[in-house]
Amino acid sequence: MPADIVVDALYKFFKKGRPGEVRAVDGVSFQIEKGELFGLLGPNGAGKTTLIKCISTLLIPDAGSIRVAGFDVNKDPLKVRQQIGVLTGGERSLYWKLTPIENLRYFAALYGVPRNQVKERIDYLLSLMELKDKAHTRVEKLSSGMKQKLSIARVLVHNPPILLVDEPTIGLDPYFAQFVRNFIKHELNQRLGKTILLTTHYMDEADALCDRVAFMNQGRIDALDTPTRLKRSIIKKEILEIKCLGELQKEEFPALENLLSLNITRLDGFTYIRMGTDNPERLLSRVIDFIQHRVKVYSVQVTSPSLEDVFVYLTGASLRQGGDDA
Amino acid sequence: MSKIAHYLRAINAENMKEWRIEWKYKPDFIRQFLEPFVYLFPYFLYGYALLGGRYSSHLKSITGVDDMVAYTFIGYLIMGFLNTACWAMGSSLRKEQWYGTLEAIFVAPVPRWVYVAGMALHSTCHQGLIMVFQAFLITTVFALVFKTTGIFLVLLIVVLMLMGLYGLGIMVAGFTIGMKQWWVISEALSTLITVVTPIAYPLAVLPIFLQKAALFLPTTYGIIGVRHFLLGEKLAISLPLIIFRLIVILVVWLTVGFALFIFMDRYGRKKGILSLY
Repeated sequence: MPADIVVDALYKFFKKGRPGEVRAVDGVSFQIEKGELFGLLGPNGAGKTTLIKCISTLLIPDAGSIRVAGFDVNKDPLKVRQQIGVLTGGERSLYWKLTPIENLRYFAALYGVPRNQVKERIDYLLSLMELKDKAHTRVEKLSSGMKQKLSIARVLVHNPPILLVDEPTIGLDPYFAQFVRNFIKHELNQRLGKTILLTTHYMDEADALCDRVAFMNQGRIDALDTPTRLKRSIIKKEILEIKCLGELQKEEFPALENLLSLNITRLDGFTYIRMGTDNPERLLSRVIDFIQHRVKVYSVQVTSPSLEDVFVYLTGASLRQGGDDA
Repeated sequence: MSKIAHYLRAINAENMKEWRIEWKYKPDFIRQFLEPFVYLFPYFLYGYALLGGRYSSHLKSITGVDDMVAYTFIGYLIMGFLNTACWAMGSSLRKEQWYGTLEAIFVAPVPRWVYVAGMALHSTCHQGLIMVFQAFLITTVFALVFKTTGIFLVLLIVVLMLMGLYGLGIMVAGFTIGMKQWWVISEALSTLITVVTPIAYPLAVLPIFLQKAALFLPTTYGIIGVRHFLLGEKLAISLPLIIFRLIVILVVWLTVGFALFIFMDRYGRKKGILSLY
């Protein structure tokens, strides 16, 4: 069975050949099989959104090829667009002055949904997304979560076999974020059999949803496998996590023996130092020597690596880097 | 569904969507009907000041029409369609960007000119409605009487002129993809065309080089043709030649407009420009 998405040696640069050149996608190749839920993980600026835009025909790559459902994105962009639904995070992909029904009717016409099927399709989607009672309410009056549900309905209006889902839970409260995750996994992927390319920088989301994940960093794919195998790849490593109060930068950290990877994040006023190591006891004493006059240590624990630790270990980058995604 | 039927349906969906959105902004909707009068009256007042009244024997001697109000009004009415091209069609894609929906519609399986065509349909209907409203009001207030014998030829001339202007509109829409400050082009084009087109004056009063420039504009032929049939203005160019030149202009302008739009669309996707604005 041919793959649904085939990306081969893809390059996309911005400001090519000029000062400040950005290598947004730098020689990326991968395939997504029919019915697969594939995750593309990386920090902001890794090139995930650029890649999605190339696949969805919004950008023309500089080199390489992309085939979607057997169609080349450069030669048959309209056929590619008929096969895909593109869902982005945020709320502004709908007409806020129109109602959900008016929005869906408009997109049904753009996608050429047969006229005699439009009503039935819209009824089905509004029921599926639990928006029936909001069908005639202006979008601007819906909550963020409802808008995202309606965006999902919009993407499904022509029943595409392939979905490109870019940061779907960004800005959603935990309840709706969980709804969206469950819907993607259980309804779209498992029940309806959609092939899904999901980009996210939430590791837990990727870990819970994806059949395979690719780590993307600085325009390149550094690793690609199932979440389980990726975690197993550093099975002999453990994670030493120190929770402390005070500021600490990654750049200040010295190169210590037994320190294999380092990730520093801030959450709720605390600084979390997560270190990959093959010997947590030995590393701990050295780290304490270094940090004791800089921060106040709150707690120390040794854990198994998460997918995020694998990412940090394999790419040397943190998922919580600042800046906009390229 | 055939490709053409699909595109026509998408064009109409775009048109209907714009009506629905416009209707949600009611004060602005009403403003759009009243605003044309604000711009029209300075023409009349200027004419009254210069002529000392509504009728002019000098205007009659050079055009065959002595009623300044009727003469100016026809020109002004027709020029409303220029705004359709330069502003409504031109800004159609940028408007989607303001809504935040541009990328959502750009991944739909229709060519991108379909959205501009949808806006052309919408703004033509919109402008047509405003014209009817204006015509009713002005003809009532000033007791204007138009000839109706050549009404089908009037419609033919207006349709040909509109098609030419659509070429201009799709060209401006192309500029919106590649240029952040696209309105500079739009403003320059609409101002130049407004000056060169004989809206409130006959072609003969323009300097020779502008008279020559005016011959490349569909609005020139649109206005002199319509004024001829509705008011009896003397024609400096024969009717078959007017229609022939309008056809040539529409073919050239549509071809250039589409070529530029397709080029700019490709350029925008190559450079990733749309995300920047």
